[in-house]
Amino acid sequence: MLRFKYIIIIGILVVLYPSVNAQVDRVSKAFSMLQKGDLDSAKILIDLAVVDVETINDGEAWYVRGFCYKSIYNSREKTNKQSPSRIEALNSFKRSLLVDTSVANVSENIKNIKYLSATLFNDVKTSLDSTNYLVAIDDFDKFKEYSILVDTSKANQKQNDINFLKALASVYTQIYESDRKGGNQFLSLAKATYSKVLILDPNNISANYNMGILFYNQAVQLITQSDIDIDIVALNDLQDNSIKLFRESLPFMEKAYQLDPKRKETLLGLSGVYFSLNDKVKSDLYKQKLQEIGN
Amino acid sequence: MLSAKDLMKKILFVLISFVFLTSWMVVKPDQSEEFAAKIKVAYLYNFTKLIEWPSDRKQGNFVVGVLGNNITLISELNKMAATKKVESQKIEIKNISSSSEASQCQIVYILPDNSSQLNDVVNKAKSSSVLIITENQGLVKQGAGINFIVVENKLKYELNKQNIENHKLKVGAQLETMAVHDVK
Repeated sequence: MLRFKYIIIIGILVVLYPSVNAQVDRVSKAFSMLQKGDLDSAKILIDLAVVDVETINDGEAWYVRGFCYKSIYNSREKTNKQSPSRIEALNSFKRSLLVDTSVANVSENIKNIKYLSATLFNDVKTSLDSTNYLVAIDDFDKFKEYSILVDTSKANQKQNDINFLKALASVYTQIYESDRKGGNQFLSLAKATYSKVLILDPNNISANYNMGILFYNQAVQLITQSDIDIDIVALNDLQDNSIKLFRESLPFMEKAYQLDPKRKETLLGLSGVYFSLNDKVKSDLYKQKLQEIGN
Repeated sequence: MLSAKDLMKKILFVLISFVFLTSWMVVKPDQSEEFAAKIKVAYLYNFTKLIEWPSDRKQGNFVVGVLGNNITLISELNKMAATKKVESQKIEIKNISSSSEASQCQIVYILPDNSSQLNDVVNKAKSSSVLIITENQGLVKQGAGINFIVVENKLKYELNKQNIENHKLKVGAQLETMAVHDVK
C-alpha cells in the first residue's frame, strides 16, 4: 500500500515538474528577450507567465512584466499621454510590490513606479489646457493612485492636489472667459474646483481671490451683457441678482485681503466690488490703499 | 557638465513647471465703472419710454444734456444713442457746460459733482419741457424730477411727480410704482 502511494507521488511530480519549470522558464526567457530588445516576444511570454497559477504570485514575474511594458512605453508610446503600456507597467510594478516584499524587489519596483509617476505628472502639466484638460484629469487620478505607493507624505499629496486643482480651475475659467454666454457650465466647474482647493487649504490666497473674482465678474457680466432696452422691472431684478453675486464675492476677496493686504489684484478687486455695491466710501478706501503701495 | 540636449530638457521642464504653477493667476476684475454706468443708462432709457414729452418736443433730435464729467457714463450714453431712438427721434448726447443750455435738452442729467448747479438749471429750464435727473440725496426736494439714490447697495431712484409735471411732462404709472419715494 505504502509502495503504491510513493509511486503515485513520484508520478505526479514527473508530470508536474516540466510544467513548473516551464513557467519559471517563461519569465527567464521573457527577460532574455527584453535584453535583446525583442519587446513583442517578451510581452507574449510574460503575459502568459503572470496568468499561470504557478507564477501568478511571483514578484519577479510581475517585475519583469512591468519592465517589459515600461520598455514598450519608452520606445513606442512616449508621446501618448494616455499610454496603455505605461498603466500596464505601473500595475505590474504595483503587483510585484504586493506579492514580494523583499528589500531588493521593493527598491527596484519603487524606482520604476517613481519614474513612471513622474512621466504621468509631466503629462498632466502639458495637458492642462482648454482642449486636453480631460486627459490631464485622468492622468492626475492615475498619478495619485501610483505616487501614493512611493511617496506616503500626506503633505506632499495635499500640495499636489492643491496645485492641480488650482491649475484645473484656471483652465475652466479660461474656457468660460472665452465664451461667457455659452460657457456657464465651466463657470460652475471653476467655482466647484476652487471650493475643493479651499476645503484643502482655506487660507489659499489665490484660490480665495479667484473665487471672489469669479462671482464678481459674473455679477458685472449680468448687467454689461444685458440689452439697454431692458424694461425697468427686469432691470430691477437683474440688479438684485448681481448684488447677490457681489455679496457672494466679498467674503473671498476679504479673506484674500486678510491673508495678503498688499496684493494689488485683491485691492483692485475689493475696490471694484464695493464700487458696484454702491459703497463709494469703502471703494475709495481700497483704492487709496492701492495707491499707497504704488499703483 | 550638461549636454546641450540635457540643458534644453531642463529649461523646458522649468518652463512647463512655471506655467503649471502660475497658470491660475490670470483672472482680472471686470470694469465696475462700466457696470455702474450701464445701469444708469438703462434706467435713463426707460425714463424716455415711461415719460411723455409734449408734441413740440417730439421733433428733431432727442437731446440728453450731461452736466459734469464722467467719461464712462458718457461713453455708455453714446452707445445708447448709436443704437436706440426715442420713438422716431434720434438720440443726441450733449456734454453741456452751463445751465443756460438746459432748455435745449429733453433731459438734463446733472452729475454729483455738479449738483450745486441744480437751482440754476431749474430756473433756466422753468418754462421748458425738460426732465432733470440728479444723483444726490434729497435733490428731488430742490427741483429735480428724478434722483438716483442707493438703497441697500442697489441703485434706485426717487421721483417728484410735481416737479416733472411742472415741465409739462406726463409720468407713466410704472415709473411711479418702481420709484422709491413718490415725493408729493
